[in-house]
Amino acid sequence: MNANLVSQILFYFFAVLTVGSAAVVVFSRSLIYSIFGLLFTFFGVAALYVFLGADFLAATQMVIYVGGVLVLLLFGVMLTHKLYNLDLKTETFQFVPALLLIVAVFGVLLLAMTRATWFSGGVRPPEPTTAEIGKMFMREYILPFEVASVFLLIALIGAAMIVRRRAQ
Amino acid sequence: MDPKIIADLHKFYPEIVITGTFLLVIVADLVFGRLRRAVTFALTVLGLAAAFALTLPLFGAAPGTMFSDMVALDPMALFFKAFLILASLLVVLAAPGSRELSGSGLGEFYALLLGVTLGMILLASSTDLLMLFLSLEMVSVGSYIMVGYLRNDRQSNEASLKYLLFGAVSTGVMLYGITLLFGVTGSTKLIVIRHALAGAATPGENSLILLVSTLFILAGLGFKIAAVPFHFWCPDVYTGAPTPVTAFLSVAPKAAGFAILVRFFFTGLSQAGQGLTWITFASINWMPIVMVLSIVTMTFGNIAALRQENMKRLLAYSSIAHAGYILMGAVVLTSDGLQAVLVYLITYLFMNLGAFMIVIEIYNRTGSFELKDYRGFYRRSPFLSVSMSVFLLSLMGIPPLAGFFGKLYVFAAAVNRDLAWFAVIGALNSVVAVYYYARVMKTMVIDGGDETSPVHASWDSTALIWVMLIPTVGLMLFWDQVQKITSGSVGLFLGN
Repeated sequence: MNANLVSQILFYFFAVLTVGSAAVVVFSRSLIYSIFGLLFTFFGVAALYVFLGADFLAATQMVIYVGGVLVLLLFGVMLTHKLYNLDLKTETFQFVPALLLIVAVFGVLLLAMTRATWFSGGVRPPEPTTAEIGKMFMREYILPFEVASVFLLIALIGAAMIVRRRAQ
Repeated sequence: MDPKIIADLHKFYPEIVITGTFLLVIVADLVFGRLRRAVTFALTVLGLAAAFALTLPLFGAAPGTMFSDMVALDPMALFFKAFLILASLLVVLAAPGSRELSGSGLGEFYALLLGVTLGMILLASSTDLLMLFLSLEMVSVGSYIMVGYLRNDRQSNEASLKYLLFGAVSTGVMLYGITLLFGVTGSTKLIVIRHALAGAATPGENSLILLVSTLFILAGLGFKIAAVPFHFWCPDVYTGAPTPVTAFLSVAPKAAGFAILVRFFFTGLSQAGQGLTWITFASINWMPIVMVLSIVTMTFGNIAALRQENMKRLLAYSSIAHAGYILMGAVVLTSDGLQAVLVYLITYLFMNLGAFMIVIEIYNRTGSFELKDYRGFYRRSPFLSVSMSVFLLSLMGIPPLAGFFGKLYVFAAAVNRDLAWFAVIGALNSVVAVYYYARVMKTMVIDGGDETSPVHASWDSTALIWVMLIPTVGLMLFWDQVQKITSGSVGLFLGN
């Protein structure tokens, strides 16, 4: 079996995993099932990053989303008795108009994407990106890097405020 | 470190001062015990005033970009920096006098306001889609928290959640649009995107995907300026938020939204044409799209405002309508049009904040936002009633008040571009608007109310209302200066 075929099969495996588990997240009526579905979605996305040669991004995705965010979500739900047994209300409003809209948007997007000439920077063999990303944060992207820290501080203050409100 | 970054820092003082004040306010709120209310207030006012003062000398600097093309330093960016800092300062001055906010500590409020101000001035000067997204989110997240600032007020919490949900969706859609644009042009830098579009192999190349991505990005920008059909959050959020926050949202983030809308469409998706006009690319003609957006926004805003019984809701719909007029200036694609946008925003700042100041003061005294409680207010407080009438007349666009000049410039810009029909739609809309503004005036001045006890505005509110009143009435006396400042501020840095 040649290497190309293997990578094709792997790609489609991860693509199906990502989309399939994302569907579970959305359609499941149990919060726990949704969160476990999300685990596979994040994992699948990390695998897709690997296919794109983005090693650092893939590792970050695993460490932060799969390792951090999801575990927090699980703890949050398991420690909250009310949420654990919650039967989610999934009522559907305006089913037909929404369906038409979704089909229309999907159709237009599909048409646009297949007809577009995408920009290509040329095909290169994958290289380690971590060192390069580190340098870029201190050069070209120093402003967004610093601004993001202020942004996170705002979000932290907001989170603290919302939590404190409950305590009163 | 890169010497270019050090050199850029010298042109970045306003942002640095605001960030520093933001951190200081957080610390001061923890350190000073009983004094913290006064200390955080003084720090915020001083910080914003210093940032404003540091912005002015930059007007002489050569136009260019900073930090590897992340933000632009050009007259337009500087105008918006000064404008947004001033708007934040005016809201900070109004905050301590508000009864709604008096129950909670204001330290975090000031800190959040400073954070949002930093986001806004970065947003107004972003020339990179990454920076655009980051600063837009900074403004949005700060605003969600400020809207829900009233801890035990259900309406405030609900407004915050609604804002968050609508905001998250529109940001997501915008981000999707940005990825598509990046996919076909290969860059997040607006200047490079323009070059890529100008260098298309065939004139109509990629028109469908560019249309889709522009519409998606417009969803995010339209959300910020509350343009129809991205306005659904606006009436509920404006009603539920503490009124000083409503006043802030109706002016400052909206102006920042216009700044980035103009920058995105002018530096990214159009090129300089004959004289002082711009032309769109064959592959993405966004002019009719934004034109429809403008017409729908002003018409919907004005018609929906007709039946409102709550002052905050009424002013929310009125602010939607005003967004439509301002869009009109941007969409005609001339320097005149851009100048009209700036003129309109200056006049809108004073008249709209002024109207909200009075709504705040009336709530402080009567505890109501309902129009029916404004009945016969002239006999209770002639000062508040008359100044409210002046602000409303200005919002209508009655000469010689400031609002008239904003409308005049916008309509003139449309007529000069041979779009007289467009100006006529705007003028017809202004006529509709007269009805609901006049209705408030009639309620306050002519109608008789059951309550006749006199209402005395506090000295600080009175002073602030005068600060808004004087420019609203007297702006025409300084029209030469306004004309000079705005015509000097239309310059956008388009790359070397």
